[in-house]
Amino acid sequence: MVGPDDAGAQGGAALFPAGRQEEEAEEDGERDGSRSRSLSGGSGQEELLLQRYLAGKVGPTAPAGLGCKCCPERPPNGAACVLGPHGRMTNGDAGFLLPPEEPPAWAVRTEPGPEEEEARLPNGGVPHFLPDPQPEPGGGASRASPPAGPALEEQLRSCYLGPDPEGGAAVGSGAGTESPSEAAAGVRTPRDCSDGAAAAGALCPAPLGFTDINLNSRNTYEVSRRRSAPEHLPHGGTPATAPAPSQEPTDKTKRIAVPGSSSGGGGGITDFIVRNFFTKRTKELKPGLHSAPGWKLFGKVPPRENFQKDSKIIQQEYEARTGRTCKPPPQATRRKNFEFEPLSTTALILEDRPSNLPAKSIEEALRHRQEYDEMVAEAKKREIKEAHKRKRIMKERFKQEENIANAMVIWINEILPNWEGMRTTRRVRELWWQGLPPSVRGKVWSLAIGNELNITHELYEIFLSRAKERWKSFSETNSENDLEDAGVSVADREASLELIKLDISRTFPSFYIFQKGGPYHDLLHSVLGAYTCYRPDVGYVQGMSFIAAVLILNLEEADAFIAFANLLNKPCQLAFFRVDHSMMLKYFAAFEVFFEENLPKLFLHFKSYSLTPDIYLIDWIFTLYSKSLPLDLACRVWDVFCRDGEEFLFRTGLGILRLYEDILLQMDFIHIAQFLTKLPEDITSEKLFSCIAAIQMQNSNKKWAQVFASLMKDNKEGDKNHSPALKS
Amino acid sequence: MDSLWHYQFRIIMLGDSTVGKSSLLKRYTEGAFLDSINQTVGVDFYVQFVELEPGLRIKLQFWDTAGQERFRSVTRSYYRNSAGAVLMFDLTNQASFESIKEWHREMTETVKPFHVVFVLVGHKSDLVPQRQVERKEAEKLASSLGAKYIETSAKSNSNVDDAFQLLTLEIYEAVKAGMLSPNKDWDGVKSRLPPTEEPKPRSNSL
Repeated sequence: MVGPDDAGAQGGAALFPAGRQEEEAEEDGERDGSRSRSLSGGSGQEELLLQRYLAGKVGPTAPAGLGCKCCPERPPNGAACVLGPHGRMTNGDAGFLLPPEEPPAWAVRTEPGPEEEEARLPNGGVPHFLPDPQPEPGGGASRASPPAGPALEEQLRSCYLGPDPEGGAAVGSGAGTESPSEAAAGVRTPRDCSDGAAAAGALCPAPLGFTDINLNSRNTYEVSRRRSAPEHLPHGGTPATAPAPSQEPTDKTKRIAVPGSSSGGGGGITDFIVRNFFTKRTKELKPGLHSAPGWKLFGKVPPRENFQKDSKIIQQEYEARTGRTCKPPPQATRRKNFEFEPLSTTALILEDRPSNLPAKSIEEALRHRQEYDEMVAEAKKREIKEAHKRKRIMKERFKQEENIANAMVIWINEILPNWEGMRTTRRVRELWWQGLPPSVRGKVWSLAIGNELNITHELYEIFLSRAKERWKSFSETNSENDLEDAGVSVADREASLELIKLDISRTFPSFYIFQKGGPYHDLLHSVLGAYTCYRPDVGYVQGMSFIAAVLILNLEEADAFIAFANLLNKPCQLAFFRVDHSMMLKYFAAFEVFFEENLPKLFLHFKSYSLTPDIYLIDWIFTLYSKSLPLDLACRVWDVFCRDGEEFLFRTGLGILRLYEDILLQMDFIHIAQFLTKLPEDITSEKLFSCIAAIQMQNSNKKWAQVFASLMKDNKEGDKNHSPALKS
Repeated sequence: MDSLWHYQFRIIMLGDSTVGKSSLLKRYTEGAFLDSINQTVGVDFYVQFVELEPGLRIKLQFWDTAGQERFRSVTRSYYRNSAGAVLMFDLTNQASFESIKEWHREMTETVKPFHVVFVLVGHKSDLVPQRQVERKEAEKLASSLGAKYIETSAKSNSNVDDAFQLLTLEIYEAVKAGMLSPNKDWDGVKSRLPPTEEPKPRSNSL
């Protein structure tokens, strides 16, 4: 998943130190503040400012758990809101908007709750992340001093790992192992700090760049090197008493221990703890999904929590984070999917800093705000661009439709009435190439395909009723029927009829019109059935249903049948549907002549893999591309096929190869084969037709027909090793 | 492009039309199932990588053939270069079961003198009430053909991986036993091990 994770993954280390510094300064202050608050001893300006700030941002708080206001909708799994009482949870991010009680809650949360399990380290412990005190990690002395590393340190030291007796070491290693890919900017694994961590847990400095980390790495925090000093834990015992995950604010409050007794040790620690905790969780959630609590990635609601945060807060948090990481692009990618409204989009990404983390200091908050504004502006720009692009596309589409409408008028009024005379004129051929207007398509196809077989509507009715009789009789008895099909055994006939039925439902299944009960099911059944009666020598062959289906979509039943029968009577179709080996080989051979002529490099590439034309051409020719190309594009191909004849089918094949030449040159046999039998769905008519147009069906002055004719004459050459497929 | 692999086995899917060859492959390689999957016209291709044992990666190339009799002459030409063949029938369609012998015969005749490893798959095991072929008779047929038997369902995703694992293992055993071996004139088995190496799993190749 793009985004913070990715960003983090690469830049983590780098960011961390950078971000850390400034963060640290601020965090400390906040933490101090929050700590104070958590200690219910709140003190200081900072705290008040923070409070005010928070007040403006944070929604009403609610008791932790189900009644959490932050999650108006219960989390899908009914788990308690990770946010805690104030509903300001982000996925693992330290909430900067910490209400007084928050820190305790978070701090307490060393034992992951039920829904927080994922956040646990493999060994069950909960890693703590604490800011890395950049300045020298003083002893626990300087608690009181704000952005002091020492203060943080203190907190760190006083934070405990959590009930897991294995303690920091295990936890650290656990977290460590999980960090590899997640290691993002500022992500720290407790590993470093866990060495020698006592059971009480290793205190690892949390990355200062809290926001950075959060953004970049979903899960792990790289724990910067720092000494873990379990013995410093003032509340070593406390952790032990915090067993069951409780989301009760009260419990948390209790827990929070207060390493805080002194200056805000608790808040900071808990923040870190929780932060780390949550990042862990995110990681273990569905891969690629920023689904940690508080995060809604790409509009998806996190699996657990489903709360709606104040969108402003959400954005702000996100903005802040993304602002810190130097990775706007991922955001941009995400944004593209959103509505125009920047607010609504960014809101999808990030929420507030988890309340377990110390609140931001004023400066930081202001900076975040600014960054946020910038991001919003950028988002707006992007969205405006998107809107323009969409407008452009719409305009083009209108233009196209207008062209079609105009063309339609010409076809109906000028060309069709004078078909024979006009069909060969340059102008008509040119218009034809552009694509037949759908409303005249069927008619033109009919006219172009012709009716050499002189089938009438009545004849169709006759064969149709015969087919129906046969179906009935087959279902009643298994004996031979009056109509002896030349050379076709009973079993074959039965199989064909049965197969027709099964195949019909497998024809353009995504359209749902040919399936049983669909509007055209019976129609398709009728046309195919009548054809097998009419041409027992050909019978039913898989692939036919696609051709008949396309005709049915454009013509009336009887006309569709007439076109179908005549189309299949063309030499190429007849050769293929009868699986006339030697004929097929000649077609393939002719194809390869022009293949080599037009795409020599690709030709050799295919030759090196013995990737013979039968591998991909059979599918294309049998179904006249109706299975391989999007329907509207296939119809365009049929248009020109009606104009130019079978040669165009092979020219289209070369056009496709040309269009994808670059990709194909890099693929091996199986991937080429796979690719060509399942073409990408985003192929456009402009691209394809321009490639087809670029294909010259000329080989040393010989055109398709001549090449083919000479192959016909030269039998030996035709049967030479072109496709193993047609050699027994 | 192409991941690292030690062996590449080409496997061909044989069986009457609509028994479920394409569905089984789609389930196996894409993890998806469609009630109405497109007809196979000609041949379709699928790829999958498996790790038979730690460090032994096999690339499986699947040739999914059109089952209709009419295509037999086309698909027959693909038999020769196959290391393995999945003989598939529909458990709810007795006729498709009866065709197995013919598929097997045609395959072995066509690929002579090459060897090919078979597995018999009874598919659509999820359609319990419509079952027409009993396990016992299928097992009997399988052993008469020198193949293992397994029942699968792409729809319910039952035994899908196992079926291909089974076949891959059998092919690998045959390679180890020397019954199948990489050969420049034969595409059934390709190896990226150095030519002089025994067919033993190695941790790195190519």
